[in-house]
Amino acid sequence: MNPRKYSLKRYRKFILPLIALAAVAEGAAIVCGATFDKLFTGLVNGFSFLGHMFPPDWTAFSEMIVPALQSILLAFLGTIFGTILSVFFAMLAASNISHKWVRNTVRFLIGFERSVPEIVILLLFIAAYGLGPMAGIVALSLGCIGMIGKLLADTIEELDSVMMESIESVGANKWQIINFGVLPQIMPSLISFTLFRFEINIRLSVLLGAVGAGGIGYELEYSFNMLQYHRAMTAVIIIMVMVFGIERLTATIREKIAGEGALR
Amino acid sequence: MIEVKDLTKTLPGGRKLLDGISFKVKKGEFVGILGPSGAGKTLTMRCLNGLLRPDSGSVIVQDEHGRRHDICRIGKKELRQVRQRIGVIFQGYHLVKRLSVLENVMIGRLGQINTLRSLVYGFTDQEAEEAQKALDKVKIADKAQSRTGSLSGGEMQRVAIARAIFQSPTLLLADEPISNLDPSNAKTIMKLIRPLSENIPVVGVFHQPEMTAKYCTRVIAIKDGKLVYDGDPKLSNKKLEEIYGEELGQLDQYEYNEPAPVVEAEIRLL
Amino acid sequence: MTTIDITLPSKKFKRKTTIFSITAIVVTVACIYIGFNPFAIFSEFHFMRDLLAEMFPPNYETLTENSSTGYAILQTLSMAFLGTVYGGIIAIILAFLAASNTMPYKPVRMVVQGIVSLVRVMPTLVVVLIFVIAVGPGAFAGMLTLVFTIIGTFGRLFVDVIENAENSPGEAIYSVGASRLQVLRYSIFPQILPSLIASLLYSFDVSMRSAISLGIFGGGGIGFKFQLAKSVLHYKDMTAYISIIIVLVIATEKVSDYFRRRILGEGKLS
Repeated sequence: MNPRKYSLKRYRKFILPLIALAAVAEGAAIVCGATFDKLFTGLVNGFSFLGHMFPPDWTAFSEMIVPALQSILLAFLGTIFGTILSVFFAMLAASNISHKWVRNTVRFLIGFERSVPEIVILLLFIAAYGLGPMAGIVALSLGCIGMIGKLLADTIEELDSVMMESIESVGANKWQIINFGVLPQIMPSLISFTLFRFEINIRLSVLLGAVGAGGIGYELEYSFNMLQYHRAMTAVIIIMVMVFGIERLTATIREKIAGEGALR
Repeated sequence: MIEVKDLTKTLPGGRKLLDGISFKVKKGEFVGILGPSGAGKTLTMRCLNGLLRPDSGSVIVQDEHGRRHDICRIGKKELRQVRQRIGVIFQGYHLVKRLSVLENVMIGRLGQINTLRSLVYGFTDQEAEEAQKALDKVKIADKAQSRTGSLSGGEMQRVAIARAIFQSPTLLLADEPISNLDPSNAKTIMKLIRPLSENIPVVGVFHQPEMTAKYCTRVIAIKDGKLVYDGDPKLSNKKLEEIYGEELGQLDQYEYNEPAPVVEAEIRLL
Repeated sequence: MTTIDITLPSKKFKRKTTIFSITAIVVTVACIYIGFNPFAIFSEFHFMRDLLAEMFPPNYETLTENSSTGYAILQTLSMAFLGTVYGGIIAIILAFLAASNTMPYKPVRMVVQGIVSLVRVMPTLVVVLIFVIAVGPGAFAGMLTLVFTIIGTFGRLFVDVIENAENSPGEAIYSVGASRLQVLRYSIFPQILPSLIASLLYSFDVSMRSAISLGIFGGGGIGFKFQLAKSVLHYKDMTAYISIIIVLVIATEKVSDYFRRRILGEGKLS
């Protein structure tokens, strides 16, 4: 066999997909109005604008502390309520402690919830109940169900089934099996999922804030709208510190729990 | 007292997994069930415990009041009540690994405690003391607060026995309790189970004829779903060969000239 | 005799209740401070009911009345696609520069890691607002934001994937006299390729969801149309858009799952 032919022929199967990819990318770029020259100038404009936002307006700092706390609180409450809801849904969605019909329906609901972006939920609740923290907390809580609910349900389904049979053998009823068999075993995973979701919820709370949930997200958007870009920069810095701080916090909590072994 | 009558379970194809198994175990007896793998021993054990329903037959258990219950027929609620006083230990121990040893023992009485109280309050101090005494009986009192997952296999099985003891059982069932243990631990476990049989009937499934010969009062053998032997625990080599279908007596002699069986197969590259 | 300290169940119960009460108090105080009354959802349920009445039945005629909805869907898909492709490529390049086994020069590594962390901590909101000002509202701003989001979310992941590649094949290749770049192409790249592609497919999923959210901020696409319908109180149109969004997200998830399964083989998608 001709060696040169061998080495080139291998790549033949990549040619068609690559051309397709390039064509789709080009089409997509046209649809977005993202032509190549605009790309470059766009990025340059973006960075230079960022530069214009410096220096941050430090006088506004004290005004933004309370909204920042509000955003954190929003995420915190959203995570707490969301986790409680998720545990209920997860138990209904686990095949080993739930009837087949119930399990499949709840799984479908959880999947459905995952497809609805939290912003949409927020806007719906704003349309119904008005602006304010309630819509934000509800949106974040419901958003938790899609993630924690699914992960937790999978975790429960992977539990040792004979361990649960063993507790059943002493005459325990379903609630006792759940309380003494399921809950202790899923606790570390639950804590891990909750902490992870809390990090996500902090970022979401900033985003949702701009759309009407209040907090520092709102301050940021307001500053942009009022063309007070230096003030906006202060908000940006506060947000970044907030997000980074929360990440460090969750990491420390994780280490502490892993060290202790977190007995029930 | 536990009486098994005519247990039968048939596969859709017609093959009988259990074919009319019948035997009776009284207080004072420690019965070992032997047999080759797949013969129906574990199925029988699961029928005794109520984890499996046979197609026909009955398993009659006498509770602490002397009343009789047919495990194969009773409803869920009654089954739970009967199970309160039936102790079961498993091959894989199957304790809740993240709970402490003491808590695992106290789980034994979950059937006997009021549900609401067990869920909200947990266990009482008195129960904790009695559980500690049960751990004492299996000589593992010092590990009471340890996380169960950190124990060795032999220790975990002792905790399982302590849990059964804590139930004040009227019957003890054991599903291959020593199959996962090394010989020394296996002996310890058998030595702990044997005295229990003085007050209650004990039925266990085993893979170790030499163990049942030493510790059981009686042996039952199941082969191809049928009961083929019921009597003296000391089985002769010939009897063992009948049950297991192999030259078990020759186990200590390895024939060097005998090649391993080879499967001839044609491999086709698709 | 060793003394063992056992926590009595009653003490455990007291500890449990104290923790529970403190948490409950903290949560209640937080709710009061921020003005969140969970029960208002139910006591004022008529608001929700009224809204639902106005939202249904969804008005699917908006989809057919002009081509703008189809175009919006196309825009959202394109935003997500380009965000994944460009963001993914940049993220992979940065990851190679930041991984310890592909970039031996520590200063370069530190700088690149710093850049990736910075991009990660940048709130999406800020990025989209800046780009809307820089290039005007619409799908272009949304796409650029997505590029940043993908770099931030997946940069770290790719670095982990690269660093988790086994060293030994690379060392073997190095020892026959190959250059570092060749080691990269023949040892590291083939090892990480399935993982990379799977991550890229997953990032498309993530991009889709973000693209919809960003649309609401003026990023164009179906998110924008949804937001528009809501602000002019055309609730029936809004519901139609929501259903489209749901279908899009589910479809993307299924497609991404399918290809990931094909690449990684059956089993856990990770």
